[in-house]
Amino acid sequence: MFPRSFRLFLLALPLVFVACREAKVASYRVPKEKDPEMTPVAATTADSTPPAVGPFMQAAGAGGGMAATPVATASGPGLGWTAPAHWVAKTASAMRKATYAVPGNGAGADGDFSVTAFPSDVGGELANVNRWRGQVKQEPLTEADLAKAVTRIEQNGLRIAYVDVGGGDGPTARMLGAIVPYAGSTWFFKLGPASSALIAREKPAFEEFLKSLKPAASP
Amino acid sequence: MNATVRQFRDFFVSLRLTVVLLGLSIILIFAATLDQVNLGVWAVQQKYFQTFFVLWKFGEVPVPIFPGGYFVGGLLFVNLIAAHVYRFKLTWRKAGIFLTHLGVILLLLGELFSGLMQEEYNMRIEEGETKNYAESYQFYELAITDTTDPKFDDVVVIPKELLEKGAAIQHPKLPFRVVPKAFFSNINLGRRSDEPTAPPSPATTGFGPNFVATPIAFNYKPDALNIPAAYVELAGPEGTLGTWLTVYIPPQMMTMPPQTFSTPDGHTWKIALRPQRAYKPYALTLLKFSHDVYAGTDIPKNFSSRIRLATPDGRDDHEVLIYMNNPLRYAGLTFFQSGYDGDHTTVLQVVRNPGWVLPYIACILMAVGLVVQFGIHLTGFFRKRRAAAVPAAA
Repeated sequence: MFPRSFRLFLLALPLVFVACREAKVASYRVPKEKDPEMTPVAATTADSTPPAVGPFMQAAGAGGGMAATPVATASGPGLGWTAPAHWVAKTASAMRKATYAVPGNGAGADGDFSVTAFPSDVGGELANVNRWRGQVKQEPLTEADLAKAVTRIEQNGLRIAYVDVGGGDGPTARMLGAIVPYAGSTWFFKLGPASSALIAREKPAFEEFLKSLKPAASP
Repeated sequence: MNATVRQFRDFFVSLRLTVVLLGLSIILIFAATLDQVNLGVWAVQQKYFQTFFVLWKFGEVPVPIFPGGYFVGGLLFVNLIAAHVYRFKLTWRKAGIFLTHLGVILLLLGELFSGLMQEEYNMRIEEGETKNYAESYQFYELAITDTTDPKFDDVVVIPKELLEKGAAIQHPKLPFRVVPKAFFSNINLGRRSDEPTAPPSPATTGFGPNFVATPIAFNYKPDALNIPAAYVELAGPEGTLGTWLTVYIPPQMMTMPPQTFSTPDGHTWKIALRPQRAYKPYALTLLKFSHDVYAGTDIPKNFSSRIRLATPDGRDDHEVLIYMNNPLRYAGLTFFQSGYDGDHTTVLQVVRNPGWVLPYIACILMAVGLVVQFGIHLTGFFRKRRAAAVPAAA
């Protein structure tokens, strides 16, 4: 039809337009913000329920449906346990290793017990304990206070850090949490936030649960 | 018409070009679909479609190996227009073909507009919280905030591309230079006390020296978590202010302590890596979040957010309920209910797509065009049959 060189030229023409998104430094003034970094209390039930997205939501956006905020749970070797008989196992989700409903039985609404695991140390004990404290409206602890607040249990080769935070009135006033580093990941076991009465009643069961923890592969 | 112009014309109006381009599109879409397993949907869009060439990295040098979506789509667009202009004859017999091709042209334009102008952010709001910014899903920025004023924050943001480049940055609002030392798209963060043999940290101040940031490969899977990090040195006129490790970990995972410092001029500052923010001239407050799950599972059945939308001047101040398939459309943005985090935090997807209506119009045009064209042929066919039947009957 016409010389090859001409065709090649035409095909190469768009190379001229190949350009990167230009990145620029910007500056602006905004009203003073309550930065989440400064208010760990604001992190809600962070470790246990990362954003869930129903598959049906993908179709909702005419402009594209990549709605899932990416969250990774830890993979690799896991932990095993024996749960109290009266806790009702619920279906585990992609984000949770396990979920149990703890019946309220007169001590307020049912409690939620969750098991999650994330890669690396997820910020360490202090940050996570303070985040939990935030969920029951408690002030954050300092590193020095942490030692007093944490109960340590050595069990089946696992180092378990266990806290009981909050108290007082209200449906979400108190919670129990345990942090267990294992095989490069950090496992979180959390009961609540729930009423103080329910947490007080379930505390022995929670401790029994922690004592049953062991690497899943071990007999 | 001189020979060169004719060559141009013949090239762009040729049906052979159309066929070649359609063939290239098929290969491109096929390759991109396969690669989505490795890269995820975001990266595939950018690598294969929102580009003129698909680039392959040989070492550090990107080499174009295949025409990308903009190239193929762009040429197809020009080809279609040129062919119509060249062969255009206003006749009813071709009305359906014109409509169908107009639909294809609109579809191509719609894709171009979406690729160039679409913005996709998210807003994560807790009950009672008010937010006036949305956050990017994929881009990060280093924010250096002058927190001295009790009422305002003066923020200087440096996009991650500049952190990757590593060149020193001097901004008139900063009394120091920002020297990016390293940027990692994904790291493993461990406590130094747990890894005593790890090499010393490049960080000299903030929480950095207590942590070991080990760069790991970026995980493209859609449900993967990547933790970006950067080492940044701040250099004042009298010497260095220190090197910080800045890390972004999603708030649903954990909260890192804020890193603050002060300069000799008495100003206090905060330094943080965070998702790129898009501030809005209005604010959303989450009044109530509700969600149900299917009985016996954690699978969400429905969820909704009661939101208060208010502008600072008070011109707009109303409540809206956002739920599945009932997004809020405001100021050119669409807020979809996309997820949640616990029982009291909503996640909204915030999309700006000025071209969103084009694919719908394009599809209607194409459908009408095909029906019209088929109808024209069908009536012609019946007419011929009738004409043939009449003499036979006679």
